[in-house]
Amino acid sequence: MSLGAHLFLALLEGTVGALVLALTALGLSFVFGVMRIVNVAHGEFFMLGAVLTWYVSTTTGSVLLALLAAPAVVGAVAVLADRLVLRRIGYEPESTIVATIGLLYILQQLVLTTYGPYARPVTPPVYFRVDFPWFGYSGYKLVVAAVAAVLLAGTWIGLSRTRLGLYMRATQQDREIAQAFAVPVNRVYTLAFGVGAGLAALAGALIVPIQQAHYLMGLDALLLSFVVVILGGLGSLRGTLVAALLVGLSDGVISVFFSPTLAKIVATLLVALVLAVRGRGLFGEAAA
Amino acid sequence: MAPVTPLLETRGISKRFGGLEAVGGVDFRLDRGEVRALIGPNGAGKTTLVGLISGRLRPTAGEVFFAGRNITRLPAWERAVLGIVYTFQVTSVYRRLSVHDNVVLAAQRPRLRAAVDWIALDAEAVAADARTALARVGLADLRDQRAGALAYGHQRVLEVAMALALGPELLILDEPTQGLAGDEIESLCRLIRDIAGTTTVLLIEHNMAVVLELAGRVTVMDRGRIIAEGTPREIEAHPEVQRAYLGR
Amino acid sequence: MRGGDRGRVLGLHLAVVGLLAGLQLLLPPFHHGMLARIMILAAYAVGYNVLLGYTGLMSLGHAMFFAAGMYGTGLTIHHLGFGIGAGFLAGAVAGLAAAGLVGLMTLRTTGPAFLIVTMMLAQAFYLATLYWNDFTGGDQGFILAGLQGELAGVRFALADPAVKYNVALGVFAACLLASLWITRSPLGRVLVAVRENEERTRLLGYNTHRYRLIAVLLSGLVAGVAGAAYTLLFSYVGSTFAGILYSIYPLLWTLLGGAGTVLGPLVGTLVMTYVVDITSGFTTGYLLVVGVALVVMILWAPAGIVGGIRARWAPWLP
Repeated sequence: MSLGAHLFLALLEGTVGALVLALTALGLSFVFGVMRIVNVAHGEFFMLGAVLTWYVSTTTGSVLLALLAAPAVVGAVAVLADRLVLRRIGYEPESTIVATIGLLYILQQLVLTTYGPYARPVTPPVYFRVDFPWFGYSGYKLVVAAVAAVLLAGTWIGLSRTRLGLYMRATQQDREIAQAFAVPVNRVYTLAFGVGAGLAALAGALIVPIQQAHYLMGLDALLLSFVVVILGGLGSLRGTLVAALLVGLSDGVISVFFSPTLAKIVATLLVALVLAVRGRGLFGEAAA
Repeated sequence: MAPVTPLLETRGISKRFGGLEAVGGVDFRLDRGEVRALIGPNGAGKTTLVGLISGRLRPTAGEVFFAGRNITRLPAWERAVLGIVYTFQVTSVYRRLSVHDNVVLAAQRPRLRAAVDWIALDAEAVAADARTALARVGLADLRDQRAGALAYGHQRVLEVAMALALGPELLILDEPTQGLAGDEIESLCRLIRDIAGTTTVLLIEHNMAVVLELAGRVTVMDRGRIIAEGTPREIEAHPEVQRAYLGR
Repeated sequence: MRGGDRGRVLGLHLAVVGLLAGLQLLLPPFHHGMLARIMILAAYAVGYNVLLGYTGLMSLGHAMFFAAGMYGTGLTIHHLGFGIGAGFLAGAVAGLAAAGLVGLMTLRTTGPAFLIVTMMLAQAFYLATLYWNDFTGGDQGFILAGLQGELAGVRFALADPAVKYNVALGVFAACLLASLWITRSPLGRVLVAVRENEERTRLLGYNTHRYRLIAVLLSGLVAGVAGAAYTLLFSYVGSTFAGILYSIYPLLWTLLGGAGTVLGPLVGTLVMTYVVDITSGFTTGYLLVVGVALVVMILWAPAGIVGGIRARWAPWLP
């Protein structure tokens, strides 16, 4: 295969990866934006989405059902965690971080003991090949990219047009004032945490037919999401999207030409450089 | 006669927050040994101006000079080392530390000049300085209390004690009497007059009785600008001041 | 600080060190070895506590400093033929250098960004140990066999249990007493002030960025020393110790024992290491206990064990 074809393949892989990453990172950024908390368990929601997709699709035979069920169940788990733990510690930033680290291990180890240490594949719900002049490409990957793009657009519209979105932006601006204007802050928080987790789970569910489900897969997702939100600026959704595309593309290209491990090292160092020059990321607010 | 270098001078200092000009091109002079009051209605830009002087805020334009030296680019901590000491409008003591430890943090600072001081600091001398500062403001008996547990008035004078322990050249007091009772105000005034013997004082104050009692000169701000300056008597009689401020 | 308290505090800490020294005569071999390991890990936690407990900065990337110490020692001995003294020094310097890098890079960040960036950099370091596995041994790691030292003309094997225990004790005691000294020093006071109210501290004339950097350096140095000692005493270097779990552990140990207490890290490490050891005996998902411990603590015992004791019975505890 020629260099041009290689590069094209790398960009294609990068785009698919970037859109899925954007979906995952958007969940993290969204939760930070509304609640001012860092959810360290975010990657585990991604992993849980993937594992649940395997469970549902192997027991019912329907991947489509799995794609719907996984985010819903994960969202419910997140809501439960919010009610039982986060709300009781008043969303105090440091305590929340510690609590979500705890949640990370609880989810990860529960999956290990029930699901086991295996990497399990799921057959794609649609199977076709797209033939380019130089190579054939999995049609499902293109479908994933398209679905992720639609979901991103949907989330964006949801946040700017609906009453829920309005509540969330109000809460993000100022919790006390929002409360004074009868915004049900507690419910908004719970919902935001659930939606954020659901987005990660959806990304995980979409990726299983490409990547296989494994109990440790959450860590890479978390790392890349962190890279993205820091690069884009904590709490900025626009920054998250731009950064996800940058990181996803560079990850895809370096992965194809060199190695996925090197790609992650490079992405992290890239962010470190940006931070050294500009402490709040590309689109961050002046006072984070 | 050679002109005397003022202790503090701002030249055309401005600060914008988004579209709002909180301070617009202010020229302000303060001579060594003065007790100056800075008055004006809420939102006049007083706290912003002293923020620019103490270095908590960066100016959008203009310059600040301290004892003839351009300090516009110096960070707040370096200005504090030079002797520009600010006490907060909202009390900002270390609530979980003892009264003594609060003052020790200030008292040790002037003694930490070289690296070796960090290892071989004269702890007794620092403690003595802290005791002196506490005694001066009348908190000696409360030194082992947690600062957060002090009465509000005591927290305010603890702020002053911390400022004194730093050995200030210029002491900026941001509404020191706010929220204090009558007798507390009286003793604080006595304290400020005592401090004024050795230190230049810049005082933001709403209470006109306090201003008249303490200040040698008064500067009036309104909407980000200085609109009048003079002795307390002159200021009281100034028509623009009466309109903008006293007759509010 | 009252004179009587000072004597009591120093006495207590020396008594703890003495107790650890005495225990080696009583403990059966298994617990003897376990305690040696715990003391090294507790030294690591002591370093972590300087940052979290006394400066208020939560790092999720300390494994990078610990592993830097480990690789600094292991690689120089393995590839360059360093002796144990020079190897140990190389480890300490590597920990310090890693901390300097992270410290400078996070200087401009505030709040949650500090924690995310430390975690990111540590993860990049971990991946690097995997990627250059020809050099580092990657996942498998490598063993340093037959390390020997010499003191006053007597040669000894570092693997000897008594040597291992006493070197571990020495490293731990040094870190503990250094941390005690720092907390009572002018520097310690400033670090606490940064934790309590950074802006107020700046206006008292302290360059708070500099003190944050100093805290990261001190903390990284102690972590590097612990990593170096671990390598020498347990003759093994591997990327596991650079993984995120080894960043979470010191956080857990410190919180469990009590952040901002001098003895907390030891108590937390002791309890948690035994708990993890026991649970791993009967389930593969033994890290579940780590997760549950974190959540339970944050809900019901945020001050930790020593912190709780201080609040209730002994307000003089440092």
